[in-house]
Amino acid sequence: MTRKAREIETLLLTMYAALPLYLTHVIRPLPVILFHVVMAGIALRVALGRGTELISPRLMRWLAVIYVPFYVIDVAIISRSAIAASTHLVLFIAIYQPIESMQRTNQAQRLLTSTLIFIASLATSTHVTAMLFVLTFAFLMLRQLMYLSHLDTVRAVSREYNASPSGRSAAYYLLGAALIGAVLFPLLPRIKNPFVQGLTSSLPGASSTLGDSIDFREQRVALPDSTLVARVWMDMEARPFFAPVRLRGPIYDRYEEGEWKQAAKGLRERGGRDGTFVIARPRGVEREAVVQLIPQRGMLLLPVGTFLVSGLEGKLYEGPAPETWYTYNEALTHFTVRMAYEQEPLRLTRVTPVSYPIRPEIATLAQSIVGDEARPAQRAALIERYLVSNFRYVPNSVPVRKPMTIEEFLLRERGGHCEYFAAGMAVLLTALDVPARVVGGYYGGRLNPITGYYTLRRSDAHAWTEVWDGTRWATFDSTPPSLRPGTQAVNLLREYLATLTDSVTFIWDRYVLTFGLADQVALLSDLITWTKESIATLRERLASDSRAVASLPFLTIAAVLIALGLVAILVARRRRPLFEALAEVLAQHGVEVNDAMTMDEALERLRREKPAVADTLMPLIAMYEEERFSAHSDARRAADIRRRLAELQT
Amino acid sequence: MTSRAVSSPPAALPTSGSGPQPPWEFKGVVRLTRIGTTYIISTVVLAVSAINTGNNALYIAVSFMLGCLLLSGIASKSGLSHLDVEITGIDEAWAGKPAPGILHVRNRSRVWNVRDVILTGDALAAPVLVPIVPRRGEKVVYSDFLFPRRGRAHVNRIDSYTRYPFGFFLKKRRLRIDSEVIVFPHIRSSESVEERFRAEKGEQTSVVRRGLGTDTHSFRDYTAGDSMRHVAWKKSANAGRWIIKQTAADAARSINVVVNPYRPPGTSDERFEEMISEAATFIFHAATRGVDITLSLPRVNVRARESESPEALFRALALLEPLHEPVTLDGRNAVVFAVGGGHHDAKSA
Repeated sequence: MTRKAREIETLLLTMYAALPLYLTHVIRPLPVILFHVVMAGIALRVALGRGTELISPRLMRWLAVIYVPFYVIDVAIISRSAIAASTHLVLFIAIYQPIESMQRTNQAQRLLTSTLIFIASLATSTHVTAMLFVLTFAFLMLRQLMYLSHLDTVRAVSREYNASPSGRSAAYYLLGAALIGAVLFPLLPRIKNPFVQGLTSSLPGASSTLGDSIDFREQRVALPDSTLVARVWMDMEARPFFAPVRLRGPIYDRYEEGEWKQAAKGLRERGGRDGTFVIARPRGVEREAVVQLIPQRGMLLLPVGTFLVSGLEGKLYEGPAPETWYTYNEALTHFTVRMAYEQEPLRLTRVTPVSYPIRPEIATLAQSIVGDEARPAQRAALIERYLVSNFRYVPNSVPVRKPMTIEEFLLRERGGHCEYFAAGMAVLLTALDVPARVVGGYYGGRLNPITGYYTLRRSDAHAWTEVWDGTRWATFDSTPPSLRPGTQAVNLLREYLATLTDSVTFIWDRYVLTFGLADQVALLSDLITWTKESIATLRERLASDSRAVASLPFLTIAAVLIALGLVAILVARRRRPLFEALAEVLAQHGVEVNDAMTMDEALERLRREKPAVADTLMPLIAMYEEERFSAHSDARRAADIRRRLAELQT
Repeated sequence: MTSRAVSSPPAALPTSGSGPQPPWEFKGVVRLTRIGTTYIISTVVLAVSAINTGNNALYIAVSFMLGCLLLSGIASKSGLSHLDVEITGIDEAWAGKPAPGILHVRNRSRVWNVRDVILTGDALAAPVLVPIVPRRGEKVVYSDFLFPRRGRAHVNRIDSYTRYPFGFFLKKRRLRIDSEVIVFPHIRSSESVEERFRAEKGEQTSVVRRGLGTDTHSFRDYTAGDSMRHVAWKKSANAGRWIIKQTAADAARSINVVVNPYRPPGTSDERFEEMISEAATFIFHAATRGVDITLSLPRVNVRARESESPEALFRALALLEPLHEPVTLDGRNAVVFAVGGGHHDAKSA
């Protein structure tokens, strides 16, 4: 590879490092576009053999001087973010350096700048494809480092540049470093500074499809969006009771000026211990689920029935609306919930119907549906059945002719999307003086058979109704079940591929992105527990039946223990090089031998200090020299040296 | 006179030890380079950021950077520790002049290729760059060696340095080698011995006797390489050692050089070496003139015929040790070299 090609590769490496900045939104796209245009211009000049001075170095120096105050302005006024302003600065430096390189050698600094851009890009990347970016960048960076190392070496001996082939070597070292990195990654202590909340990012799709309010006066069109919202894992025992999954989001329990809103009661921190928070009182069947989600604007979407949350990093807040939960952490979050078939509020709650202006026709309709039924839950069930049977569902993606009111939906159109069904049911119950509210969230999801979790995407956004039965809020869904999210026909192949891809991203999200100190402790704890249990089980079995010795589990454990013992013995008694063995003996006599010393030199030093010992060791060292420098290694001679060394040490 | 095949010593190269200390030389085994320092600082900063933020993407970067650092250390150490060097091909080495030789650099490692290795040492005229030594492979490098003094030179170490693979560390390992080279004395310019040749030419003219080339001219002690046909058996029997009969023609094309290794008290080593060097220079230029040369040293005479290489003479001079007791050498009809004792004047010494 020629110098020109290397220079172009360096420029492309820097440009490549900045590519994710378009996706991660650390900075606005314009500075990144500008950066890429200028760098491409420099690369083009180099390709044409005209050097890197796209902009005159003098002008560039002036721009650098001007940039210093500009950085402050950027932080304070333009970007209003130190991270964004620093990224702008690094991009400017990245442009400055190739132009400067015509005056002085700055290859190392340029690589450092590329690394800084890479880190800025990586810090907010959350998708598994970031690994491809990391590996490609690392490959190019290692190539550049090897090239730089080579260049420094040839300069040191005042030789001409002689390009060494480093592509294969870089790949070789990349593989090695990646393997070591993979081993180190779970072992690095996840000690988080409690005073720093963490780098958060405006993740792609972080904006919620769940609005703060529902306003039926406005046209609403929700396009299909496959952005992942959450994954919920539950075992086979939990599924009959809690599947399809229903993730609860905002609660619209106030009607005001034609708009369904959330009643603000203020923000309260929920007291918890060791990341465990009790949020309701359970009743009935209890099961567990594991939830992985990106809190949308800090909101935690909990499965319906959740009464306990554990494994949550950071604090949990209730509010501003009641029974909505926030962590104010926008990073991918992983936690466990316990769900009960029914759950009651922890404290006495006074519930009143929504202050919705009920028209007489609505009241008549409601009364006609429920008849003589007086129990709130039964009334709700009747209305739910009525709506499911007599109303048609119009998907969110199909715009109706014009926005319609709930009255129009109930009395005239008799069709609409899920929010109409939810709000219609709430209005009908309100007409009967039964407290009801509209709940926004996600419903259904697709079960991934490989990993056993339900994937909920934005397209699974849904609304349903909660009805107060006197002691608790009960969930009702008046949207026809066959038309709820996740019930559409799917392409099998696409589904299969989606499942596979999602499995990979799940593993990435679970075991890479959300791998934390709790996981490290859990891993260690599991290992200890497993060992203890295995030993206890074996002991019990052996006590009751001596033939258990021949059982497969016992033999497996015995084989593992024997293998570990053998490895330990081999490591302890491994054949150290003769040089090291001799060096150890010499060190005992005060002569430290290192790689920069020959045995002869060490012997000379020993002779000056301890001539008698030197005379003893001299024949051994002579034998070592003979063994080391003879054309053929003599195992007997080597063994003889080791034996004599052992004798000396004893 | 026909010229003889005597290779002329090449011009001297700058030695590796001259001038300021080269950038790769240092004490110890490993040195952190500037790139390495920058890299480590970056890793530490990134690790602090990762800890501060709990961002696992940064933890990935930190793990990978630590992996690179670790791998770099392992690769450079393992690479160098499996290197062996052997020196061959130094046929003629002259003190103070670069001598071409061959370095055989072998990599015994089954895993690591070693690249960009700098070899340096007291015996190497200049640092040698070996671009790559493949694993379980050998690289032959032609290099110049430089020995400052005549004699038996032991080359027993060569230092190897490498920055490979990423230039974070400059690693050093001293390689033990076992090589011996006979270094011939320093050869000066021909002007320094021209005077001697003028005197010798005149003497040769005067000593030429009439008669056939096969006529006996004189007798001398046997030297290695003399034909048995020229042994004067009667004289040998009388003397108790082999005596060679010299013809007039032989005498006209021959020079006897006597080097007296006696070093009087108070004389410096340098003066002795100068004398040896002068003798070697004389022999060197005599050899190029195509004459037979007999070198007389205490207890040994070495002869090089017109058609033979004078290597044996230089070897003898190379290994000549100073004597601290005066010796008597027959300096008749010979060019005599001695410390502080003149040259032609010493004929009767």
